Amino acid sequence: MGLTDLLSKYGSQYFQALLTTWRLTAVSFAGAFLIGILITVARVSPIRPLRIFGDIYVQIFRNIPGAALLILLVYALPYLQIVLPYDVCVTTATVLIPSAFCSEHLMSGMNTISPGQIEAARALGLTFLQMIRRIIIPQALRSSVLPMTNLLVATMLTTSLASQVPMRPRDLTGIVSYINTHDTGGVMAFVISAALYCLTALVIGKIGSLVDRKVRILR
Amino acid sequence: MDNQKNVPMIELRHVEKHYGDQHVLRDINLSVRKGEVVVIIGPSGSGKSTLCRSIKRLEPIDSGEILLEGEPIPQEGKKLAELRAQIGMVFQSFNLFAHRTVLDNITLAPVDVLKKSRKEVREEALRLLERVGVRDQADKVPAQLSGGQQQRAAIARSLAMHPKVMLFDEPTSALDPEMIQEVLNVIAELAQEGMTMLIVTHEMSFARRVADRVIFMDGGQIVEENTPELFFSNPESQRARDFLNSLHAE
Amino acid sequence: MRTGNIRDYLYEEPGPHTRKRIRIFTGIAILGLLALLGLIIRQFSETGQFNAKYWSFFTKWTTWRFLGEGLLTTLEAALTGSAISFTLGFLLMRGKLQGKIIRGISSFLIEFTRGVPTLLFIYFFFLVVPKTGWKPSAFWKITLPCAISACGVVAEALRSGVNAVPRGQREAALSLGMSERRTFYRVVFPQAFRFVIPSLIAELVIVLKDTTFAYVVSCADLMQNAKVLISNYDAMLSIYLVVAVIYILINYLLNTLSERIAGSQRRSVRTVTEINKGAAVHG
Repeated sequence: MGLTDLLSKYGSQYFQALLTTWRLTAVSFAGAFLIGILITVARVSPIRPLRIFGDIYVQIFRNIPGAALLILLVYALPYLQIVLPYDVCVTTATVLIPSAFCSEHLMSGMNTISPGQIEAARALGLTFLQMIRRIIIPQALRSSVLPMTNLLVATMLTTSLASQVPMRPRDLTGIVSYINTHDTGGVMAFVISAALYCLTALVIGKIGSLVDRKVRILR
Repeated sequence: MDNQKNVPMIELRHVEKHYGDQHVLRDINLSVRKGEVVVIIGPSGSGKSTLCRSIKRLEPIDSGEILLEGEPIPQEGKKLAELRAQIGMVFQSFNLFAHRTVLDNITLAPVDVLKKSRKEVREEALRLLERVGVRDQADKVPAQLSGGQQQRAAIARSLAMHPKVMLFDEPTSALDPEMIQEVLNVIAELAQEGMTMLIVTHEMSFARRVADRVIFMDGGQIVEENTPELFFSNPESQRARDFLNSLHAE
Repeated sequence: MRTGNIRDYLYEEPGPHTRKRIRIFTGIAILGLLALLGLIIRQFSETGQFNAKYWSFFTKWTTWRFLGEGLLTTLEAALTGSAISFTLGFLLMRGKLQGKIIRGISSFLIEFTRGVPTLLFIYFFFLVVPKTGWKPSAFWKITLPCAISACGVVAEALRSGVNAVPRGQREAALSLGMSERRTFYRVVFPQAFRFVIPSLIAELVIVLKDTTFAYVVSCADLMQNAKVLISNYDAMLSIYLVVAVIYILINYLLNTLSERIAGSQRRSVRTVTEINKGAAVHG
């Protein structure tokens, strides 16, 4: 099938799929960021059991393959009488995995802050919370812009997991396998989806490096 | 009023501290009067930095007492933060906040801790920067400044809190030789204005010039305490003599 | 300036009041986590998932041999895929240093492989490639797309490694009369390679994770063999959990190895800079 045939027949479905991928990416990233922050707070807290819990959480979701997690959620959880709808399973997987990486990025962002600055904040009479708000968080966020940009792209790639469950509307990967199993989409069907993924990644990357240039901390 | 005059600004009584097996502070007794400039010297590892840092409880002590104007320093929480705000400190490695401009570095604590108005603080900060000679660097971030400029900005940051006393923990040890003097001049000026100061340093001629009293530490102990004239010309203890000789040999 | 982890210096020595509060919250946290664990255990026991029939076959040698065979295929696919992606990545990295056209193509391929999900490449090999007449085996249908998907990232990692080699090294080699080519292969790249070993191991983890999609192309990897076991023993939850733990452990070990190497390199780099500094002062 040529490009024009494909677009006239499946154009609106591609558009739907693009929106689905975008929506999944945005929702997953927001969720991952939120959980990532909470896990990071637990990991740097002075409460040892919370630190250990946070570390284990990160190791699990950083190292589990997306497919394995999704299969557990979709096929294994029902045996515990926990039956989640397909889209919830997908979103859970695409939130949990990036959240672990998010926490790792935040940790290394914080690690760029020298001990001396923390001591100086203390010495000036800042309370612990003031120090966290004024010194730690701004520096950690500002030095993790690029890793977070990469994480957003990685999250988008992870949302292709949606194609592994019968979820409607289909995402950009799901639509391609649909077209190629029901029709002869050929190479072009892939090219369209790939181009849409790539363009999204490119835009994210550009915005990320613009923001980074603005907020980067000279050291 | 009379009573208060006799209370020392800083007083340490029987202060002890260990790092594991190491006995880093041994029965330290020391008091600094208002307006006095006390310089602590001694070989590295003698405990002089630890002593300086313990006054703000940047290093907790094992036993003994540390008092600011007769009041023991609190161990934690808001009270400790309030006390720290009253004691200025300048570090060996400047420790300016990397993400803020020089000006913001100075205004941050007065606004956040002392709850002063931003405008008032800003004007004073610029005056202080002028005074330490880095007014023209106000809008740069620390990494754009030389070490000497950073350290002078750090001094201005401390002064903006209107501290009752200033502590200097080897303020020139991390500086290139050509920048040491500009920082020492700023400190000497402060001394002349009557600021109460405790200075840990390796700069002997500077110590001789600004000190009202010199304290020589070795092995976690105060070995000798004297006026700079007597200490440098005729030290009482053998250890102090050895130390001064080793400096001349260099 | 950096010494260790922020966790070690974020807090000061606690006073008595703080210590008490930490103890209280530690107690609460332990209780909370135990409650969570209890909840999970209860759910398992109420649904009968602790029943011996779901776990007893794990004591059999054949179970582990079968899983082991799958794991071997997984590792084989991951290592082969990584080797291919390193080769492709290296070519793309070299391509970026060439003339305009080759550089443009290389940049495009790097961005393309980095921006497209592995699954899309897998579907391409699954659905389109066989129609062209070339019929790769299931192993290659999973290994090749995983390799292609990773090569852009590898190229970028190699490039940052090359950039991390001090410029003086290249200049010194050139001034000794070595050709550009020789300089790159004999002086610059060997050093760059050392810098990028950690990111290459991290990349191996990514490829290994991607190979779990092998079920799409029916390649008998760990995940696929787990499926066979499941239909044999009718034990979905236990087998998938064990398999997930195997994946997590392998990746954890690889990541730990990567971090260890990176850590020791940082230390040695620091020593080298200090030596250089010292030399500058004394010389």
